Amino acid sequence: MLECRNIHKHYGGVVALKGVSWKLLPGEVHALCGENGAGKSTLARILCGITARDEGAILLEGRPVVWSGPVAARQAGLGIILQELDLFAHLSIAENLAIGNARLEASAWVSPTALNDAARPLLHDVGLELDPASPLGSLSVSQWQLVAIARVLGLDAKIIFMDEPTSALTDDAVERLFGLIRRLKARGVAIAYVSHKMNEIFRICDRISVMRDGEMINTATCAETSIDQVIQQMVGRAVTTTRGEKILATGRALLEARQVSTRKLRDVSFTLARGEILGVAGLVGSGRSEVGRALFGLSPVTDGKITLETSDYAPRSPHDAVARGVALVPEDRQREGLIPGMSIRQNATLASLSKYSRASWIDRGQEAAASREALANCRTKFADQELPVRSLSGGNQQKVLIGKWLLTHPKVCFFDDPTRGIDIGAKDDIYRLVAELAGKGLGVIWVSSELPELLANAHRILVLYEGRCLGILDALSATQEDIMRLATGHRNSLS
Amino acid sequence: MTGNLWKYLKHHGQPFIGLLLILILGTILSPRATDGSIVFLSLGNLTDVLLQQTEIGIIALAMTFVIIGAGIDLSVGSVLALSAAVSALMLMVWNPHGPAVLQIGLAIGASVLAGALIGGLNGLVITRIRLQPFVMTLATMIGVRGFTKWLTGNVNVDLGFGDVPSGQFAELFSSKSFAITIWIVFAVIAHLILSRTVYGRYLRAIGENERAAAYTGLPVRGVRLATYIGCGALAAFAGLIHAARSHQGNPNDGVGYELDAIAAVVIGGTALAGGRGSIIGTVTGTLVLGLLTNVLRLHMVDSNLELMIKAVIIIVAVWLQRRSSGAHGEL
Repeated sequence: MLECRNIHKHYGGVVALKGVSWKLLPGEVHALCGENGAGKSTLARILCGITARDEGAILLEGRPVVWSGPVAARQAGLGIILQELDLFAHLSIAENLAIGNARLEASAWVSPTALNDAARPLLHDVGLELDPASPLGSLSVSQWQLVAIARVLGLDAKIIFMDEPTSALTDDAVERLFGLIRRLKARGVAIAYVSHKMNEIFRICDRISVMRDGEMINTATCAETSIDQVIQQMVGRAVTTTRGEKILATGRALLEARQVSTRKLRDVSFTLARGEILGVAGLVGSGRSEVGRALFGLSPVTDGKITLETSDYAPRSPHDAVARGVALVPEDRQREGLIPGMSIRQNATLASLSKYSRASWIDRGQEAAASREALANCRTKFADQELPVRSLSGGNQQKVLIGKWLLTHPKVCFFDDPTRGIDIGAKDDIYRLVAELAGKGLGVIWVSSELPELLANAHRILVLYEGRCLGILDALSATQEDIMRLATGHRNSLS
Repeated sequence: MTGNLWKYLKHHGQPFIGLLLILILGTILSPRATDGSIVFLSLGNLTDVLLQQTEIGIIALAMTFVIIGAGIDLSVGSVLALSAAVSALMLMVWNPHGPAVLQIGLAIGASVLAGALIGGLNGLVITRIRLQPFVMTLATMIGVRGFTKWLTGNVNVDLGFGDVPSGQFAELFSSKSFAITIWIVFAVIAHLILSRTVYGRYLRAIGENERAAAYTGLPVRGVRLATYIGCGALAAFAGLIHAARSHQGNPNDGVGYELDAIAAVVIGGTALAGGRGSIIGTVTGTLVLGLLTNVLRLHMVDSNLELMIKAVIIIVAVWLQRRSSGAHGEL
């Protein structure tokens, strides 16, 4: 029905897809699974005309097609439900359903009554009994997701891509969605189901394709394969880092979280000792960044208690957190970490400026010396520390941000995926740096998307799934498969 | 050192080129006095320009801080009128039965305090209720204007002449040397605060990337609040000079001053998006606007045409900066 051959895609220097070939049969539900960044969403977007491919062919019912854009693909009968909900909060439900729908947009004059009438059966299909005229903004995230699904139903698509459709759905809505998928399948609609939730995939899908690092690894029917096999295929890359001898964490707890809940976390408990590196694993949206946000005063703790050293710790802002000796290296360097137009020096000293100033007057000599020392400690490579920080490579920018926190002499440092998007050499530097910090008695919490990285560098690994801690594994004995099983919600299958 | 100067001019030189152009243009186009000297370049004429620009110049200094912090303050014109009215009322209506110095001092203090309070109100609402700066200061611009009119009963409060406190006040604050010196002193202090203090560094970080600044633990709200308080206080100080120069507290004065100040800041190379800007640029921008007016007035150019020419200058100045910043890919 829909087929692609040898699809390549690059984003700048990053290869997202390398020669992916894949086939979707009529009336089947076909799962596309893989870890974060494996290329599932990119493939779906290319097939639906949202993203352009660099190379390769797309065939629809045997004929090669070139999408000029998402509209062309939609007219050919392809619908996609995106991970990021492309809906409009200020418009009514019915208006949202009509957008992009050629039949409802056919005339320039749109009657609200006609729109509402057209919307009702679609909403009924997804199990939403709501007034189509009510604004979308008043709905919950789960309901938004259902509206997005209803919109694709309204297109009468022959092929539907669903990119993580259940990520925002409540349990009963998931059941309703599965019922709907079965009905669509009976009508001969082909569904590509992008997900990494194993139990869902094995319940609803006919065939499973596993992607890893931009490549199609394997396609099999559900009967031929098993959850364990799929997980193994998902993580199966070679572990390149060597497991060095690790200083074992000793002494009493530096930080203790007891049953901490926030908007995105539920009853998460852990302890962190001096000198310990606690890895945090989980899929995107599992709440792994939220742990840092809670510790850093960015996300209010609604329940539970955190203790730092011997006293209660309840930061209300990053300012409070920094004052108590907690640091956070954020996930999004550009938006949350750097002041791009400021110099390397000014970025490095931003968190500790008061140390080099008297009555607010900055001692430039002291500042420059401190910054030079911190940058050297982090092995940052730069020509002149007066140059704007944006002139550095990603890896060196990350080192500047780490140097910024070292100058504050923190007790606990939270690294949110610190090696994402940086080159191998800089990664090794960061591994060594973090190990050094821990060696000095710092408590390190380290979120990573790369399991080999965590296994090789952390002492223990906390695995999150949908905001809950499903287990804390010993990094010396755990395997990638163990972690992945927990990260995809399989608490019980861990033997 | 000369290398540094050259680097500085290369990146921040745009407003200076404008200033230089206007000086050359003014010199060429200037009418001649009876003795053949160039009127435009005479000390009297140039210091007149400086004096005329002190009020906008001082407000523009404060506006530079606000804009670098990615904010805006539209209330400064109204605050100027409020300050002029408060000082005039305290000098004319109120009688403390003390020495003149005390009365003048209290009048100055009360006016600056009034300005700082309005600034504090702006800052509090912007940082706590998170109203957009444009909206909040638009509201105070309207509200303070009304309050000033109510305070004065919508009549001008004239200052006295001679030895009475109000006369002494007017003489001091309207004198060329005093007003110009104050402007220069404020400009130097402002430059040092912006470039050499922790506050200045924080302000630029917040203006360029508020989120990253907050994630670094900087006191974002405090810095913002202080900036608006300072802006109100400086606008009030400009109001004192205004009262002295016009010899009255007129509740209807200062309309449109906020836009002149913003124009000076923008011509000086400060980005409205925040994070980037300099006091030297703002002073230059203020001078460009003042000298332009002067050149045109020496030629008796119609004041309506003058406004149109100003508009073109603003557009060209900002366009040139965008081009140069695009070409260098930085600053």
